Amino acid sequence: MTSARGRRQLRPVRRPAGWGGPLTAVVCGLVLAAAAAAAAELDDVRARGELIWAADQEGGGPHVFPDADDPRKLAGFEVEFAALLAEELGVKPRFQQGQWDRLPLLLGRTADCVINGIELTPERQRDYRCSRPYFAYALQLIGRRDALPDAFDALATAGPTGRWRVGVLTGSAAETYLRSRPDLEVDVVGYDGTIDSLEQVSSGVLDAAVMDDCIFSFYADRFGRLRAVGRPFAGGYYTVLSARDTPRLSAAIDECIGRLVADGRLKALYDRWDLAGRQQMLQIRDATEVPPAARRSLGALVRETLPLLVQSAGMTVLLSCMSFPLAVAVGLAVAVGRTYGPPAVKPLLAGYVEVLRGTPLMLQLYAIFFLLPKVGLALPAIVAAILGLALNYSAYESEIYRAGLKAVPAGQFEAALSLGLSKWQALRHVLVPQAVRIVMPPVTSDFIALFKDTSVCSAITVIELTKRYSVLALSTGRIVELALVTALLYLCMSWPLAVLSRWFERRLEQPPTPAA
Amino acid sequence: MITVSAVSKSRSGMQVLERVSLTGAEGTVTAIVGPSGSGKSTLLRCLNGLETFESGGIDIAGHRLEPGSHAPTRLERLRRDVGMVFQQFNLFAHLSVLDNVCLAPRVVLGLPAAEARGRGIELLDRVGLGDFATARPATLSGGQQQRVAIARALAMRPRVILFDEPTSALDPVMTGEVQEVIVDLARGGQTMVVVTHDHAFARQAATWVVQLDAGRVARQGPAAEML
Repeated sequence: MTSARGRRQLRPVRRPAGWGGPLTAVVCGLVLAAAAAAAAELDDVRARGELIWAADQEGGGPHVFPDADDPRKLAGFEVEFAALLAEELGVKPRFQQGQWDRLPLLLGRTADCVINGIELTPERQRDYRCSRPYFAYALQLIGRRDALPDAFDALATAGPTGRWRVGVLTGSAAETYLRSRPDLEVDVVGYDGTIDSLEQVSSGVLDAAVMDDCIFSFYADRFGRLRAVGRPFAGGYYTVLSARDTPRLSAAIDECIGRLVADGRLKALYDRWDLAGRQQMLQIRDATEVPPAARRSLGALVRETLPLLVQSAGMTVLLSCMSFPLAVAVGLAVAVGRTYGPPAVKPLLAGYVEVLRGTPLMLQLYAIFFLLPKVGLALPAIVAAILGLALNYSAYESEIYRAGLKAVPAGQFEAALSLGLSKWQALRHVLVPQAVRIVMPPVTSDFIALFKDTSVCSAITVIELTKRYSVLALSTGRIVELALVTALLYLCMSWPLAVLSRWFERRLEQPPTPAA
Repeated sequence: MITVSAVSKSRSGMQVLERVSLTGAEGTVTAIVGPSGSGKSTLLRCLNGLETFESGGIDIAGHRLEPGSHAPTRLERLRRDVGMVFQQFNLFAHLSVLDNVCLAPRVVLGLPAAEARGRGIELLDRVGLGDFATARPATLSGGQQQRVAIARALAMRPRVILFDEPTSALDPVMTGEVQEVIVDLARGGQTMVVVTHDHAFARQAATWVVQLDAGRVARQGPAAEML
């Protein structure tokens, strides 16, 4: 959990309604965990002639990243380490791309091992085969050159503007560490990428960030305004992860690392990457065994994780229920403007719809959260998330309402005008109420789609249910149990929603009450 | 009450109305007859500004319509005094029968809800539909719907009501019940203009008949002489 994970992949937002996103993640977790097929053992790897190692090339430097000179090639000290490891095993290395927080799920399926800044923890010792350490990391506090805090201890008392706002990679060792220190006057802000928090410190939104020291060293040139504050702290080791049922492969990897350490090849590698090879060797040679964690009972697991999951489910509800009414209101206004507004505004509104519909939701969230502060408008993450969702969905809602307005027979408008109603009165009392009834089903299904799309907001530090599940599943290794709990929580939310929308539809279809 | 002076209108190169002139005195019923495509409905829709025309002029219920388009507020004021009943009824599908009748008095005239409601119930009784106040338009027969549409127009207490082929979409039985309501209004002195194919009805209801042919007034005269 100490990887230099970069930005999440920019996934296109899928439109069909349903619980696709979160449920797919949950179900995939279930299926992958359940189908832990027999993993390739040492003999299979040798017979195949390839060691398949998994990492996330979006993670960034110095671990694994696309080569600047040739983006088709990979660079990074772990790329070279994997090559050495494969060579020692007498096979060729083959890279397998995966999403960082799901990398362990690839073991036994498409990958033999994971090499991507995976931190050695008691939980991982219990759930996977962990190799002996190949790298030692420590956490580093990073701040602006001209600003406080000027030492880690400064975090113990409130800063000039109250509690310190400190960015971390969500689910990383840095986050775990800071959250385990309630004595600090720190508000922890979780990001999906390490670069994100550096940018936010640089632009003044955050006071500081905490991450693996090697990551900051790698990116220091790019962020001239930033500096390492104080000495590295709370160190640990990276380990090569392999499947539980491959003891011989794991043992072979240990032997190979031992040889690479002994004959100086690993030191040379780290020196090439400016990673203080001598220092590294001293540390990983002396690495002591980490005892595996005891397996928690299901009851204890649920007791520990449920409050966090429920809290994040609340965030999912909050995001949907705040943003959707806004999206509907804006969408309706845009639809009316495009259908009945003055000719001058029609192309403007059409442009609004096409821009918002034609660009991914995630990019819009990035723009609102990361770019607006550069012009002096820094919005809190939740406000940015609600705004982004509302604007994005308003484009889709407006198209639905436009179709709804066109579906109201022309005679209705003429009849209203003939009674002396103005155009706006006719819209308000005759056309819009009928259009709303016509489009009820697609709008309802869009609400459910938005419910699902809230998971994208984790990209701008808002942690909702799907993200919380990923993080907890990764840190506890209890993929199946947590998937079930998460799925139940989603059902608890979706069921009332479905009932409510059916009730609403029925209500609109019933004869209205007599004139007021 | 109504004076149409030399109104002409063309649509995509075709002359739809050509120098049409007619007058309708207060308390009279003017029937406009003629074959399909002769411009009857277009002429009627010019009378409340749903259509524009290119030359001539219209005076109706104290309002003046010039060639070309008009400011929306001017048309809204005119339409308070000039009601319209459509061939396809065009009742507001999402409102109850009573709300259909009450909407414009409340929204346009600003009548208090209770007063609008009282007026609506009275008018529904008058067209024989007092029992259907809470029903949805879609549950009513065509004849019933058209009678609601007439009540809806009457609720604004217009000085003139325009009827655009009010019974063309109805079977004979329903036609009878709607025509009865219109004839009743005529006896009560309501000024009306009725576009119709039904000569027997025109003879019964109208005081003056205008016959259009290819956009021109072919003949006009007292109903008794014309039909």
